[in-house]
Amino acid sequence: MPSGSPGARAGSSSTLRALSNDLAAAVERAGRTVVAIHARPRIPASGIYWREGIVVAASHTIRKEQDIAVSLPDGTRAPAQLVGRDGGTDLAILRFDANPTAKAVAVADRASGDALRVGSLVLAVGRPGDDGVSTSLGVISAVGDKWRTWSGGEIDRFVRLDLAVYDGFSGGALVDADGAVLGVNCSALARGTPLTIPNVTVDRVVDALLTRGHVARAYLGVAMQPARLTKAIADRLDLGDMARGVLVVMVESDSPADRAGLLVGDVIVAAAGQSVAEPQDVAELLGAERVGAELELSVVRGGERRPLRVTVGERAPTSDVRRRGRGS
Amino acid sequence: MSAVASCHPEERSDEGSASLAGRKSSTRERGYALAALGMTSRAVAGELEDLARRLRAVTVRIHTSGPHFDAVGAGVLWPASDRVVVVTNAHVVPPNRGDDVSVEGANGLLVDASVMARNRDLDLALLTLGDMPDEWPTGAALGDARALRTGEIVVALGHPFGVPGALSVGVVHLVPNGDDAWLRADIRLAPGNSGGPLATLDGAVVGINCMIAGGLGIAIPTHVAGGFVHEALELP
Repeated sequence: MPSGSPGARAGSSSTLRALSNDLAAAVERAGRTVVAIHARPRIPASGIYWREGIVVAASHTIRKEQDIAVSLPDGTRAPAQLVGRDGGTDLAILRFDANPTAKAVAVADRASGDALRVGSLVLAVGRPGDDGVSTSLGVISAVGDKWRTWSGGEIDRFVRLDLAVYDGFSGGALVDADGAVLGVNCSALARGTPLTIPNVTVDRVVDALLTRGHVARAYLGVAMQPARLTKAIADRLDLGDMARGVLVVMVESDSPADRAGLLVGDVIVAAAGQSVAEPQDVAELLGAERVGAELELSVVRGGERRPLRVTVGERAPTSDVRRRGRGS
Repeated sequence: MSAVASCHPEERSDEGSASLAGRKSSTRERGYALAALGMTSRAVAGELEDLARRLRAVTVRIHTSGPHFDAVGAGVLWPASDRVVVVTNAHVVPPNRGDDVSVEGANGLLVDASVMARNRDLDLALLTLGDMPDEWPTGAALGDARALRTGEIVVALGHPFGVPGALSVGVVHLVPNGDDAWLRADIRLAPGNSGGPLATLDGAVVGINCMIAGGLGIAIPTHVAGGFVHEALELP
């Protein structure tokens, strides 16, 4: 044998080998909590044993509502029921018919929220099938504030990854170098860009799904587009920096907006005392806590400015994000 | 698994700068795992350098010529009882390029070689060397892919886009658990890595890189390649 035979173990005390061992141990630890979910044709997806009896998964990977099987880390399979899903955050939860033993699957060990730092070394851990746990290595490439997904879900931190989220990795765990869970990976929320839904958001959605079966979403029932008021009107109404607003282009019948008397052609210039220039500005005022509350609008109609009070309603549970965007 | 692409041996041309530029933009896309690891430490860099040097000694460049272009792929110097052979991918030495090829060692010495066996199903080929220079090593150290751990660091050596002796770093994605299962690695490979080694940090070869599938590096585990060599050489 030439130099460098396996027996030589030249690098056994090296920094690299120590890192390699840490990474393998992290995958092993996380692998005890990551399961495979068989709820779509072809490649199964991943899920995390989040709480006793409860598995968190990516909603877009759940394509059937019955006969869902979950492969556990010890190689066994258990039937599970879909408890609820939230298309907005692309999360779904499943409940086992009978709680598996601690030997079969372990509840996720969480890392604290402040562990989300740009540049920190992370692993995506998934179980896309019965072949065992699999992983990819990378770093957190961006961490931002609270954001809203295109389907309206509220996510507490924006966490983008520089690593590969392979087929079947959605619903799997993002873990730090110790194997502690930082969040749930998902590739369907931003056109295939790998993102992580942080623990705090997952907990909030799990709580909502367990208590109500869906995540409450405030709702007005209008379609809007940005509009600019003419200078003459803006000057006459003394709007100042509110010369921009959103034009109401559709009012759903019997919606909260309809009941409040909002009409197509109204220009909303302020909501809850804040000026609005984009539909997004209005959407941002529609957090779950607004449901049932009154929202004060200021609209320009027929060249006059008038106040309107809308009692914010609750949107019926949304469909999931399947068949939209690219997800794995 | 989508978009299965074979790493065809890169066209050997004098457009060195063009292929380098191509490599640059593709590396920026996701970044070599090396950068992702943030390995600024000199010790780590030194260890990788040492590893690359050891692997380069047992990795050859295989030159083939055909009607339209000349190509280069990688191969591993493989210890087979009392001799050293070269193991590579069948697609690196396709039959239409003939059985006589030229093998270049790390020191630049060219040796004539001939294809002794091909297995297109396994995508493996075995080359026997004419006169092997004395200074060539006696073959790579072989490891067992089945003993790997998911998440363990592995390296690949090859000639991506024709760049000789390039090292890429990644982790084991999925450990092969059947007799014929592939070894999957979360590692950046490119055309020109075909036939080259996937190795552990000890420098033990655990697989022969053969393709990129769904972004993953796919290698033929050493025990499968070993079985092929055994059969081709009719070893007892």
